[in-house]
Amino acid sequence: MSGFLARNRLIVLAYAGMVVLLLVTAMFSPGFLSVSNMRSTVVLAAFVGIVALGQTFVIIGGGIDLSVPWVLNSAAIVMALLCGGQDLPLVWVMPLLLAGGAFIGLINGVGVAQFGVPPIIMTLATNVILQGLILVLTGGSPTPSAPALIQFLSVGRLSGFPVIALIWLALTLAATLLLSKAAFGRHLYALGTSATVAEFSGVPTARTTILTYVVSGLTAAFAGMLLTGYSGQAYLGMGDAYLFTSIAAVAIGGASILGGSGHYLGTVAGAMVLTILTGLLPALNLSSGALLIVYGAVILLTVSIGSETFAGLGGRLRRKEG
Amino acid sequence: MDLVSVKGLSKRYGGIVALSEATFSARGGEVHALLGENGAGKSTFIQILSGAVRHDGGSILVDGQDYRPANPDAAQARGIAAVFQELSLIPDLSVEQNIWFRHEPRTWLGTVNRGEMRRKTLALLERYDFPALRPDQELRRLTLAERQIVEIAKGLAKDPRILILDEATSALPAREAEWLLKLTRQLAAEGRLVIFISHRMAEVRAIADRLTIFRNGATVAAHEANAVSDNEIVTQMIGRHLDRLYPERVATATDRIALRVKGFSSGSRLSGVDFALREGEVLGVGGLQGHGQRELFQALFGATRASGAIELWGKPTSIGNPRQALTGRDGIALVPEDRRGQGLLLTKSVRENLTLSVIKRFTENGLLSRQKEAALVKAMVDFLRIKAGTPEQLAGTLSGGNQQKVIFGKMLLTEARVLLLYDPTRGVDVGTKGEIFQLMRDLAAKGYAILFHSSDMPELVHVADRVMVMRNGRIAATLEGALISEEGILGAAMLETRAA
Repeated sequence: MSGFLARNRLIVLAYAGMVVLLLVTAMFSPGFLSVSNMRSTVVLAAFVGIVALGQTFVIIGGGIDLSVPWVLNSAAIVMALLCGGQDLPLVWVMPLLLAGGAFIGLINGVGVAQFGVPPIIMTLATNVILQGLILVLTGGSPTPSAPALIQFLSVGRLSGFPVIALIWLALTLAATLLLSKAAFGRHLYALGTSATVAEFSGVPTARTTILTYVVSGLTAAFAGMLLTGYSGQAYLGMGDAYLFTSIAAVAIGGASILGGSGHYLGTVAGAMVLTILTGLLPALNLSSGALLIVYGAVILLTVSIGSETFAGLGGRLRRKEG
Repeated sequence: MDLVSVKGLSKRYGGIVALSEATFSARGGEVHALLGENGAGKSTFIQILSGAVRHDGGSILVDGQDYRPANPDAAQARGIAAVFQELSLIPDLSVEQNIWFRHEPRTWLGTVNRGEMRRKTLALLERYDFPALRPDQELRRLTLAERQIVEIAKGLAKDPRILILDEATSALPAREAEWLLKLTRQLAAEGRLVIFISHRMAEVRAIADRLTIFRNGATVAAHEANAVSDNEIVTQMIGRHLDRLYPERVATATDRIALRVKGFSSGSRLSGVDFALREGEVLGVGGLQGHGQRELFQALFGATRASGAIELWGKPTSIGNPRQALTGRDGIALVPEDRRGQGLLLTKSVRENLTLSVIKRFTENGLLSRQKEAALVKAMVDFLRIKAGTPEQLAGTLSGGNQQKVIFGKMLLTEARVLLLYDPTRGVDVGTKGEIFQLMRDLAAKGYAILFHSSDMPELVHVADRVMVMRNGRIAATLEGALISEEGILGAAMLETRAA
């Protein structure tokens, strides 16, 4: 394990940043560290974390997925429409929508890996197309409220623990297994480091690329359904915030935005940092405009601290000392 | 008086001593070769001279005046320019824009004077008899060799009194390499000092007036070139006596055909190649550069598309991508041309690089076994004598020779018994070169079949059992036995070209 930490100093840094941020926030807003508040912070972070799971895979592989907002939003709205507030349809609606999310990911992945469309263009296009489809489908009318079962998954508790935190934990274990213990992880890091070298080494580069986008479609769709449970209903634009936060969480977690490095364990810390920030800023009594400015600036700062640039700078500084 | 005089030069990077006691002196009007294994300190030395790196201790005098450049511009102001191995050109700019980059001739308005730039480019190219280069060609369209030539033009454009050439010939085919050797003599005749780094002894012999040998960050000797033997030089470079560079060539080929290729074609670069590579054989592929050697190797490995038939160990096979080539014992493996761009994940560890192609070999129930992986890695590191601190060291921090060993190790772990080696000794120090040749012969003796291309003709002559000479995408001739010689290879490559 110490080997893992040595190789992933940036992840350690992300967790250290999280702790510092927690303490700072507690100074400005006493009671922030209370059990109930920590619980709601973790719940909010879980949504970011789940969307960012797929985003982590995509970014490590050297791509980026800009289609998360509307994959998430589509899953939320279609689920609400198909279930009509009832639990029973979830039995088929949930698998269907997860498959739908995976299918969008498949389209993204095939476009990028087989047809050579740049990831930004490919995923931006699917995002806009989905947005259009949903607008046509709903005509802008409100959807029925979320089924009770999905509400339980996102706000319910099991012996004191938020259910969604347990789901997040399970997903974290699964992602860690894939990245650290499976051939897929090795292939993924190689692909993101150099697609040419990976190809020359016999790595199934196309299949690996496609898989990352499929996972991203899956997690975005899953998060969309859970988020509907959290807000009680689905609405247009509910996924918009997750484009920025999912990418920022990955970057804060120490991954290079150019691919080849990072880990989901870092993204988990990134999601926590982002969520704690949104808790800290209101405590500073700023106007909502000023709030956004500070939010953006702080994220920029955190990402640059966590980024490879900083690691390189740190390395240079140490060499000078030595 | 000496143009350059260096005493007690030292440079440390953190705990690593790159240079400890470098001394050096050279006069204007001479070609001065700098020799040493990778990691001996040559690179650090010339980086200091060219202003890219600042030294910690010692002194440099240029023209008797203290010299301590703050950056490459300051070095150029004192008349020192360097042509480095790592190419510094910008792919999106044209040849001439690259040559005059940041030193463009200006109009009175301060904009780039294109007419003047073209005139100066053509004058420069003509003055030094450059191989054909179009000034307006976009750099990204050029081959590695052509880029190296542009790099040399860029160095000369500064009209330096001291020109440093760092393995400038290693990327060049025979004819262009010869031109460069002539160029260095011309520059010396003009009174300039050329500091020349090469791993090819024959070149050093051909042009150097004097030579300085580095080992472990210090100068071990300086000689008049005609007063020292090859053996003495090599011994001083590696600090021990190297019996011989080329291993004894024992015929180990059997009658069994490992790889048969029929009517192999790819685009306009490869048209109808037929040959058979036997078990236990080292089959050389030579010829002038750009006559289909690269395309042949890449297409056989599935990295580029080709038509035609391939049989591996008697079985018809189709290889659409490298994954289909790397299929274990009956597969076919490639040590590629571009070590850094195709062969190695520079920011990943030696371990991850070594095992990248054989993850299946240490996967149990879908999970990686770190113990099994460690055993594979250890076996390869020991077998190839890869010098890395630990298997976790990043591949990019290894010397060129050790990087190449890691790529060999990665391919050997796949257990493929047909090996394609594309210029495996390029930019590799002489000690490791010897090891690679020995390894090739050892593998052949074990029944491996090896297709071997080298841009250094003596290697083909001394290591290969047979040599195929390529010309215009075809096999122009296959040389065997006593017919294998540099003259034979060049003859086959060039006479045919004239006849065509």
